[in-house]
Amino acid sequence: MFRTAANSARRMAFRAPGALPARRSLHASATTLQDKIPPPNYSLSATEPITTIAQHGSNQLSLETPQNKAEYVLSTLDKVANWARQSSMWPMTFGLACCAVEMMHMAAARYDQDRLGVVFRASPRQSDIMIVAGTLTNKMGPALRKVYDQMPEPRWVISMGSCANGGGYYHYSYSVVRGCDRIVPVDIYVPGCPPTAEALLYGMLQLQRKMRRARSSVLWYRK
Amino acid sequence: MPSLQRYLRSIYRVGFRAWWRQLNYIGDAKSGRFVGQDQFGNKYFENYNAEEEVPGRQRWVDFAQVHYQASQVPPEWHSWISHIRKDPPTEDAVIAASRQPWQQPWTESLTGTRGAYKPYNTVAPKINAWEPKVSPRA
Repeated sequence: MFRTAANSARRMAFRAPGALPARRSLHASATTLQDKIPPPNYSLSATEPITTIAQHGSNQLSLETPQNKAEYVLSTLDKVANWARQSSMWPMTFGLACCAVEMMHMAAARYDQDRLGVVFRASPRQSDIMIVAGTLTNKMGPALRKVYDQMPEPRWVISMGSCANGGGYYHYSYSVVRGCDRIVPVDIYVPGCPPTAEALLYGMLQLQRKMRRARSSVLWYRK
Repeated sequence: MPSLQRYLRSIYRVGFRAWWRQLNYIGDAKSGRFVGQDQFGNKYFENYNAEEEVPGRQRWVDFAQVHYQASQVPPEWHSWISHIRKDPPTEDAVIAASRQPWQQPWTESLTGTRGAYKPYNTVAPKINAWEPKVSPRA
């Protein structure tokens, strides 16, 4: 117990005060040389920003770095597929409560989702994203799951607002699902009660980032 | 107002290379006064000519990174680009005076990377892998 506390204190001492831990160490026990030299937690470079530094030593970075010609081709194909997916995101609107109004604001003239290729689609069979906007009640749960199951792969889910994230204001109600992640797997959580249209649009852009990271064919090749 | 003349004038002003970069990043040909550059190398511009830019598009940023996002703009420049402050932080005395010695350097959002904030949590995970257990036959 004491030993662990001392270790963590030592680790804190190497880090700049209040700095973000840009790289998480995977192994808690062995202290290697890498642990003693803390990774930089701040970067001014445009070619190696802090988001790249934070990914050092991760499986994701390994996937994004092709090791031979076949992987180079496959990762390029992956990038093309990612580009196509991220530039035509068609969300299935699952507007349940007041969050849906903010979702409509995202579609309206000021934030104008159409310029990003985001078009609301009323049919789950022709959409690839589901925005769960609002309180998910027990009665609505099976319908949500059914709509999710009708969506074709690949599909993503954005949970919008406190109620969809974890029940929110209605967390202790007898008739509310405490977060839509109990029903469907969620990719992006947008906090807020309700989140602004700007916040939801930022969530969509974060989902684009997530889509850009996908390397499914490289993963298949390595397996 | 956007017009063909404005577009061609902008290309003439900024040059062909900068226009190609704008086409890839902004999607429009814009020209204006270079206001400043932040610590990350993002460049900030403004153009208040009413015949060239409509309100809301008068201040803009040219991001340094290829995969740009809004959190790469540091807070001082955010206040300028969102019209919270009139003057850019390089000239604004109030912004310079409100800089605190304990202030941390700005980092962009690390969401989706290993540096993402993860709170200390002792709650049992909500999602578990399915472990099938066959009940013995009677």
